[in-house]
This record gives sequence, C-alpha cells and structure tokens, in this order.
Amino acid sequence: MIFRKGLTVIAATVLLLVTAACGSNSNDAGNTASSNKSANEAISGTSSSQLDPITLKIVVPGDRPADMDTVIKEAESRMADTINVKLNLVFIPWSDLAQKTQVMLASGEDVDLIFDAPWLHLDQMISAGYYEPLEDLMDKYGQDAVKVRSDQMFDANKFQGHIYALPLGNTHLAGRTYLVRKDLREKYGLPPIQSYDDLIKFAYKVKENEKDIVPLLAYGQSGQKDVSWGAFRSFMEYDPQLLRSDALGQSLVLYYKNNDSKVYNLFDEMEPRVWSWIKDARKLYTDGLIHPDVLAIKDVDSVINSGKVAVATYNEFGVPSSISAALAQNAPGAELEAVTFIKMEKGKNITNFKQANFQAIPKVSKHKERAMMFLNWAADKDNYDLLAYGIEGNNYEKIGDDQYKQIGSGYSYFPYAWIWNPTTDRLNGGFDEESIKHYQFNKEASNLTPSILTGFSFDPTPVINEISLYNATEDKYYNSLFNGVTDPDATWTKFKKEAEGNAKKIQVELQKQIDSFLASKK
Amino acid sequence: MGFIREIVRNRYLYVLALPGLLFLIVFAYVPMAGHLIAFKQYRLADGIWGSKWIGFDNFKFFFMGSDWYKVTFNTIFLNGLFIVCGLGIALLLAIFLSEIQNALYKKIAQSLIFMPYFISWLVVSMMVFAFLNMTDGILNRTLAANGLDPKNWYLMPSIWPAVLTIVYVWKFAGYYSIIFLAAIAGISGEYYESARIDGATRFQQIIHITLPLIRNVVIVLALLGVGRIFYGDFGMIYGIVGDTAPLYPTTDVIDTYSYRALRQLGDFGKSSAVIMYQSVMGLVTIIIFNALAKRIDNDASLF
Repeated sequence: MIFRKGLTVIAATVLLLVTAACGSNSNDAGNTASSNKSANEAISGTSSSQLDPITLKIVVPGDRPADMDTVIKEAESRMADTINVKLNLVFIPWSDLAQKTQVMLASGEDVDLIFDAPWLHLDQMISAGYYEPLEDLMDKYGQDAVKVRSDQMFDANKFQGHIYALPLGNTHLAGRTYLVRKDLREKYGLPPIQSYDDLIKFAYKVKENEKDIVPLLAYGQSGQKDVSWGAFRSFMEYDPQLLRSDALGQSLVLYYKNNDSKVYNLFDEMEPRVWSWIKDARKLYTDGLIHPDVLAIKDVDSVINSGKVAVATYNEFGVPSSISAALAQNAPGAELEAVTFIKMEKGKNITNFKQANFQAIPKVSKHKERAMMFLNWAADKDNYDLLAYGIEGNNYEKIGDDQYKQIGSGYSYFPYAWIWNPTTDRLNGGFDEESIKHYQFNKEASNLTPSILTGFSFDPTPVINEISLYNATEDKYYNSLFNGVTDPDATWTKFKKEAEGNAKKIQVELQKQIDSFLASKK
Repeated sequence: MGFIREIVRNRYLYVLALPGLLFLIVFAYVPMAGHLIAFKQYRLADGIWGSKWIGFDNFKFFFMGSDWYKVTFNTIFLNGLFIVCGLGIALLLAIFLSEIQNALYKKIAQSLIFMPYFISWLVVSMMVFAFLNMTDGILNRTLAANGLDPKNWYLMPSIWPAVLTIVYVWKFAGYYSIIFLAAIAGISGEYYESARIDGATRFQQIIHITLPLIRNVVIVLALLGVGRIFYGDFGMIYGIVGDTAPLYPTTDVIDTYSYRALRQLGDFGKSSAVIMYQSVMGLVTIIIFNALAKRIDNDASLF
C-alpha cells in the first residue's frame, strides 16, 4: 500500500514537472503576444478614426431583454469614434437554436458573429468549414480579447490545432453545490455542514421531524446523469479524482483517474468507491430520504422552489438568486445555503479547461476584422459591464470591482452567450462569501492541475453506432442506479449485459485516439 | 383529351384547389426526395447531392441493438389502443350527443368535451404528474385516505399504456366526436321518421340507421390513423413520460428511442433512416388495411 502510494507521488511529481514545463512554454508565447499587442495598439490607435460605419449581425441564444435597445444605443455611441460598429443582435430561442443556426450557416446568411458550442454543433460546423480560423485576426485586432482569457483556455479549446471560436467562460472549473435549507438546519441546532456525513445526518433529522418535506432531491431524467445523487459525489471526492471521459459525456461508466491517460471502464472492474456511492444511494432511497419521484420529476427547480425539499444537487457554485427569490415567496422563512465539498486547494482539482460556450466568425462574414475588433472592444472592463449588466443604476449596481447587484428584470444576464471571460466578469453579489471565494479561486487557471488530456477532443465517427446504442441503453438504467431507485445488483447485471459490448468498443477507440494524441504532443 | 376538357370545363374549381395542391407538393411531395439522406453520410456543407453515399449504414444503429423490435411493438400497440379507444369512445359520445334534445345542454356538453383538445401536452404532463406522483399525488392521497397503500405509479410500467390511452381519449375524443356529429347531422331525418312509424325504438334506430350510415366516416378516420401507426406521438409521449427510465419498457416508442439515441449526435442521416423505416412500414400497413376496407365496403376505402 505504502509502496503504491509512493509510486503515485512520484508519478504526480513527474507529471507536475512535465506540465510545469508546458506551462512555462505557453507563458512565453503569452509574453510575446502581449509585446506584439502594444505595437499593434499604436497602429490601430491612429487608423481607427477613419473606419466606415458598418453593422455587425450577431447571433445569440435566448430571449431579447427588454432594455436591449437602450444598451445597444449606448454601446454604439461609445464605439462611434473608434471602431464605428452598429449592432444587430439576433436572438434565437434555445429550443430552435441547433436547427436555426445550422440553416443560417448552410444557407450562407450574412452573419458576422455566431454562438456555437460543442454540445450544439461546433465540431461539425468547423469540419464542414463554416468558421474562420481566428489566430491572425486575434493577433491583429483582438489582443484585449485574448488577454482577458487564460492561455489554457485557448490551448484547451483548439479544434484540429486551430482556434476557430473564442471560448466563453468565467471559470475554469464547473461549480457543484448541494442547496441546503439553512432555516431547517438552524431549527435543529446543527452546525454548518462540513462533510457528506453531516449532510446525511441533517437529512435524517429532516426525515424524523418534517412530515411534508422530502430530505433529498437529485435529478433523475436521463438527460441529466451527472446530477444524479450517487454520481454527483464524484465531483467532491478526491485521491484520486474520477473524471468523466471525453466519449460519453455525463456518464461515469468510462472514466479517467490519476491523470494517467488511461480510460477505465466500470464494466471491466467496478471501482469500489463508485459502488459504495450506488449502495449509499440505494440505502437513502429505501430509507425514504431521496425523493420517491426522483425519476419522474422533470422540473427540479420548481420542486426546490416549492419549499418541499431540504437538500438538492445543483450545477453551479452558490444559490441562484432566481431560486432563493421564488423559495422565499412560496415558503416564507425558508432560506437556502450553498454547501460544496469541492476543495479550494491549489492543484487539487484536475481540469481540461474545456469551455462550454463559444463565439465564432463565419467564413461568409464581410466584416471579420470589425467582428474581432468588437470582441476586443467588449473585453474592456467598462464596455463589458455595459454589455453584460446593462446601464449602471438602471439595470445593475456595481459592488466593488468584481461583483454586481441586478436591479429589476429589464436586462437579464446573458454574457455567456457572446462575451464571457474570467477577468472582467462580475459575480452576483447575492452569493454567499464561500461561493464567491470558489468562483474567484477557479478563475485563476494556475490554481488547477491541467489534465494530461488538455486539448484533446474525441472524434466519435468511428464508433458512432456504438455510442448511439450505448446511450439508449444507459438511459434505461443509469439514473435508477445512481438514485437508488432499483436494486443495485440486479440493475447492474442487466445494464452490464446489455451495454458492455458497446462500452468496450467505445473505450478501445477512445484509448486509441488518446494514445495518438499524446504521441503527437511529444 | 378527356383530361384537358375536364380541366377546361371545371377550371374555376381547379383554381380553387390550386393552393391546397401547391401546399401538398411543396410540403409533402418534394420533401420525399429528402429520404435520400437516409442513405448518405449527410453533411450540411456538401448538401443532399454532394454527401457521400453509404448505403444502409445509417440503418445499422437502429437494427443493430436489441431494442428495435420492442419499440416497434410499443409504437404499434399504443397507437392501436389510441385508434380503437379514441374512435370508439368518440363514436359513443357523438351518438349520445346527437340524442340530446335540449339544445343549450347539448352545446355546453359538446364544448366541455371538446375543451381538452386545446390543452398543450406540457400542461397535460403536469396534470398527469399532479395526479399520479408519489409524494402528494391526488390518486395516492385518495388511496391513503381510504386506508390503502399508496403506490409509486412512476415505477410501474404495466399501467402506463392504460394511462396514456385515457389521456389520449380525454384529449381527442371530443375532436373526433365533432366529425362524427357532423356525419350524423347529415343523415336525412326521413329515415328516422319512417323508422318511428314502423315502431322502431331509439336503440334500434341507432343500431340500424345511424351506425351503418356513418360507417364510412369511421373507416376513413381509422385508416388515416393506421397510416401513421408507426409514428409515436412524440409531443405526447415525451411530454408525459419524458426521460423517466422505469417506464421505458411499455412506453418507449420509435420516436422517443431514436431521440434519446441521437440527441447528442445531431446526425441527420441516422434520424432520416428511422423516418424512412417508419414511412415505409406505414405505407405497407395502410395498403394492407385499405385492401381490407375495400373488401368490407368498396366506398369506404381511401383509394
């Protein structure tokens, strides 16, 4: 045992050295970029006044905020003397996003900036050749847009070796939180929750004392596997951290650990820890702690809002203001606090720096330079504040340098759709101190250990039939298993029998691609 | 020659039909060429013609697994229930409604029965959940109040074909009953009058006059339903059942299955392959059932 631990330590140090070497390389690149930058700024500073006015068509997901026009007017007047850009923002409802943007691109519609994402169709669109590689444009016109994002963010989000889209994100590690009913905890005189055991103790207390409140709620619909009760624990347990694979997204069946570039498969060998999570979930379910309707509830937020659950899993740091407001209205006196066991220790969390949202410049755009200039302009703190939060005093209030308070609902929050970055983004001042600390900590790329697979992206084409079949099978069992709804042994046996073959093929292909990725990196 | 003369003679009628025809051509006939996608590795950039021809590769994902015959069975079984129960109860409703003498009461009853047709599936799904859930569902509360054990209906796949059928009937029976009512209203009053003179009872009139005279309408509606028997109503089934895994054994239909298998892949070719399968099977069934209908009554068949 001790011997093996020693080995891991050695392995970890070697890794650290290797990654440190990589890190210093990219820092050099960053430095040269920034020295180029000042030179370029001088040039653009003199020539910018002669630019003709043009209109940029920008496609973003979501609903148009009521005060959008006021914000655009203000932005245009600020840009008039410099980059002289008018803005035409086209909002597309989330439900139509995939289809509409695809058709827009395919029909060659004149769009200058467009939202895309790996979970949408970024890879397909890039390989179909719809997007302009951004390196040259960034060098010439986008130094500020580059500066507000970390090098890791760019390195990790390349496609086929090029930057085809500007990564949007305000943190390098996705937040995970248990939303806990603070009022109940205080009612029973329990101290703040520090560990998973505390959490479960609290849940049993709720079970004993409250007839109308269900202690625990997680997600059970099969589109949301990462937030099921048992699987959620993987985000908060360490030594080693289990990380989900690039091939199966939210599923834990294929996973990485130890940052050793190997793909592990639960069907080959059950990870004892994962099995203990499943067993634990089963116990909680049969004891009546996990919501009996966990698999049937489609809208988890509304159940939390109703005040009828004591603990729920949630995919961000902090209590979202929409939920705390709704809860206060439905159940007077009820209050939520955010509890997370994600460690805030330098290097403790491994990440591949992948971002979920991107902004791309289509090849057909006639104003590619201006589009990049606009992105660059939007990276400026004051301009970012305007575009992200609206008019100061009307839509939001600044709290210090890095927090804000929203006023009214005239300008709903959507920077993640077009300009998000970790540097100029402000945090919701309504968050608790602890959550804010987590956000701030994870904004700093150097606080996280880069995954050895940073920059790797999986090409599903060779095993696409297996993946689609595997997905359909997994949906039948995964969430009942991890929420404890069905008997673990029987469910696992059935799941394994039906899915093992396909999972194996996917694992082999993923491993093959990882090996060749690592070989090419050397 | 006869064809042209016919068109010239009735030109205004044909002009009237033109918008409808155009609609059909644009939205029903032209898209048929899209079935080609099922045999191609479709990429938007290359277009339908430019994409690579890969034969039956796209069909593999569906037929390679062990679930395809289960979901096909579920689709046919559920749709069969919907057609039989939906039309049967609509027919009963129409006959009952037509027998009501008080005009005001008849209008009110008709509107109330028709109302659910306008409720969206999303709302229906919430109503079903409010009715059946374990924590505070109406049904389980009623059971508990009567000293019975509450049951977790969302873990019992066997009752869901019944649940879905009840919901379907509740939503659509009013709609179909109006079509039947219109057909019943078209029956000449003289039949009933002479039947009454001959001493026929109300019940006998229904059996021997009303039913035979609206049989064709029933058959046509049934045939239209059968033509779509391989299409699961995605809005309904995904709306109500959603991603609730324990219910898949009885409620997973072709559409929901393919949706789950493909939702992360966004593959046009594979989804087209599934649609192609549904269309071809639908075509085959409707030809068979149409031939059967023709045997029973030559006028009742669709073509």
